[in-house]
Amino acid sequence: METLFNPSKTAKLFVPNISLFKSSFLHSTFNPQTHILFNRKTLSFTINCRAKTSQGRKTDGKNISKKILLSDSAPELSNEDVEPKPKNGGGAWGLVRKLPKRVLAVLSNLPLAIGEMFTVAGLMALGTAIDQGEAPEFYFQKYPEENPVWGFFTWRWVLTLGLDHMFSSPIFLGMLVLLATSLMACTYTTQIPLVKAARRWRFLQSADAIRKQEFSDTLPRASVKDLGVVLMAAGYEVFLKGPSLYAFKGLAGRFAPIGVHLAMLLIMAGGTLSATGSFRGSVTVPQGLNFVVGDVLGPTGFLSTPTEAFNTEVHVNRFYMDYYDSGEVSQFHTDLSLFDLNGKEVMRKTLSVNDPLRYGGFTIYQTDWSFSALQILKDDEGPFNLAMAPLKLNGDKKLFGTFLPVGDTNSPNIKGISMLARDLQSIVLYDQQGKFAGVRRPNSKLPIEIDGTKIVIVDAIGSSGLDLKIDPGVPIVYAGFGALMLTTCVSYLSHAQIWALQDGTTVIVGGKTNRAKAEFPDEMNRLLDLVPEIVQSSISEQPG
Amino acid sequence: MIFSTLEHILTHISFSVVSIVITIHFLTLLVDEVVGLDDSSEKGMIVTFFCITGLLVTRWIYSGHFPLSDLYESLIFLSWGFSLIHMISYFKKRKNDLSAITAPSAIFTQGFATSGLLTKMHQSAILAPALQSQWLMMHVSMMVLGYAALLCGSLLSVALLVITFRKVIKIIGKNNNLLNQSFSFGEIQYMNERSNVLLNTYFLSSKNYYRYQLTQQLDRWSYRIISLGFIFLTIGILSGAVWANEAWGSYWNWDPKETWAFITWTVFAIYLHIRTNKNFEGVNSAIVASMGFLIIWICYFGVNLLGIGLHSYGSFTLTSN
Repeated sequence: METLFNPSKTAKLFVPNISLFKSSFLHSTFNPQTHILFNRKTLSFTINCRAKTSQGRKTDGKNISKKILLSDSAPELSNEDVEPKPKNGGGAWGLVRKLPKRVLAVLSNLPLAIGEMFTVAGLMALGTAIDQGEAPEFYFQKYPEENPVWGFFTWRWVLTLGLDHMFSSPIFLGMLVLLATSLMACTYTTQIPLVKAARRWRFLQSADAIRKQEFSDTLPRASVKDLGVVLMAAGYEVFLKGPSLYAFKGLAGRFAPIGVHLAMLLIMAGGTLSATGSFRGSVTVPQGLNFVVGDVLGPTGFLSTPTEAFNTEVHVNRFYMDYYDSGEVSQFHTDLSLFDLNGKEVMRKTLSVNDPLRYGGFTIYQTDWSFSALQILKDDEGPFNLAMAPLKLNGDKKLFGTFLPVGDTNSPNIKGISMLARDLQSIVLYDQQGKFAGVRRPNSKLPIEIDGTKIVIVDAIGSSGLDLKIDPGVPIVYAGFGALMLTTCVSYLSHAQIWALQDGTTVIVGGKTNRAKAEFPDEMNRLLDLVPEIVQSSISEQPG
Repeated sequence: MIFSTLEHILTHISFSVVSIVITIHFLTLLVDEVVGLDDSSEKGMIVTFFCITGLLVTRWIYSGHFPLSDLYESLIFLSWGFSLIHMISYFKKRKNDLSAITAPSAIFTQGFATSGLLTKMHQSAILAPALQSQWLMMHVSMMVLGYAALLCGSLLSVALLVITFRKVIKIIGKNNNLLNQSFSFGEIQYMNERSNVLLNTYFLSSKNYYRYQLTQQLDRWSYRIISLGFIFLTIGILSGAVWANEAWGSYWNWDPKETWAFITWTVFAIYLHIRTNKNFEGVNSAIVASMGFLIIWICYFGVNLLGIGLHSYGSFTLTSN
């Protein structure tokens, strides 16, 4: 194509009345893209070209497209598509204009993006290797200056680079921002033009061009129409024009990567909103007590604004746990009532671990539990509430204990009855010497005699560990998640294109695909086997 | 009681069948092809598939929850994933390279799971409250299937690298002898080829042509399988995030396991992006996929060894009983 439009020759090949090819363009090079439109008597070419004149690069970047009409009459030159000349008002202004384009070109560079992804992955790995969120003394101890890890890594590296809070450190967030800008640049400059190119379809007119495709085959006695029918049955979109055929399938697989990038940008935007605009808080409330939502929630960033619902008062009616037969905890439940400013109950619900409460934009989650107090009767007096202290908290395995002093309460070596509990089901009692005395369940109301004192366990009062949260970014992030899942699935589709040409009684078929390269030949062979062979030689096919 | 014995029987059947299949494959490779046995190896894999499926279903019925709550169950699920991939690729195209990867993988994971290292966990355990959710099925099954597919794909890439660079390893060995020998035309050709080893532009002998064909096939299959695994991994990570939001109020906590899953996702995204450029396709993407192989094992096993964070359900301590 290049040689055809060599300007010095063109002036002679075409109608010499074309005044386009003036002397100033003699040293030009053309990169034409032609669309040939058949228009009854006139042949018109539209040439888009970038002209570099011998006077330097003044017109660099200018797209000039002129319509050249070859006809009997004098040709017209329509100037509709000429872009206006850029204003050359000062070199600096020209630089500023060029800057976005150059920045865009740099950002959409693929190796840069790959490097950024590697860096992000490496930083995340480092973030899991170094313990996060500890006090500085921890790092002084773990990465001492006298004996550096790997010979150079000391606590100075950790604290100055912010590696102790890696996932909110400037270095990590900066990399993420850079990655986001690369995503946007790449989508704009590379992906969208690729889609436009893929959508443009054309027939291949020569058998040689078809044979050059990745997969090509010849059917000796066949009709291109039969091939078209077979392809349509296999889900292809078929276009037939005269002896040539074009079919494609799976074009959505070309669009989907753009969707993937946009979904990721949506997730990043939602995540940013979550980080800067949400409220969080946790509270451990003993059964029977209240708290106000606004007192518990604290803002996370500068965009956090409280809402009217923050005035709601939450009352814990009851906290209870379900157990398996083996005695392990199976589920926690909290019965909550929500009251508004006037004291009217607006909501009542029982929460459990995977079942949160949603009201007024905020959500309450059941995340933890604790033992608040043990209610006992001592020698039929009481009931007394003994506060339970946590002795060991190891995730779901906890141990609580309390102490009932017996005898002289003022002496230093005070003795008493100890009561330990792992959960709200059963209490283990020990006497003054620390010997095991017995186990009692709070519901049974069975008395136990220890060292002359009669104890009845009336009730075990637990407290519910609740987490509250209000997060405006969640709908955006969820939308991004859904879009990402969908577009990733769709981008698995392979865009297959097939061309065919009827040459006498032979059909020449060629095709290519962008993803499923391993399976494509087999699929094509299977489809071509389905095309019927024309046995009689007296059949005459009228193409078109 | 009957269920646990049934479970035992199924485990042992699947283990032994897969061992026999592997033995047949090795015999075919090293000795001579024994006609008639080749078909039986495929049948053996079908039997294994049904055995492992039966094993999982039995465990599901017996314990009342979906069989994916601790490390032992997820390993069984992983070996099921491998045999599933084997089945699907067998039905799409008979006699392909994938079976050399999936069958040994299935047996190794099955073997590790049933070995003495994890006997403490063979009994079906009860679910902690945080795991009692419908999301368990979707999140963990998608993650484990994703791991299975990505492991297969990365092993294919490793195979590709081994085949491509076997020549270089041989030549480095040869160089030590070259000084003592007289140069022959063939050896000079070899030295020329060494500089071109990264460009598949030489077809000097039919052996090279077949090697090129093989590497190209491996490359394409690896790409397809990794794309599929990537989809599963994406769905798994995102469903995990949604579940975390429903259970604990925040969809991303930079938990070690979550972070390493994200690192795995990033590395395979790099793999997919490298393949968009025709020049880097082939060896470079295979190198990235091989890194991905190591990273998946760190994500799946290495983090569990630490035993910390929100994903502590999968942790275990290596004690020998």
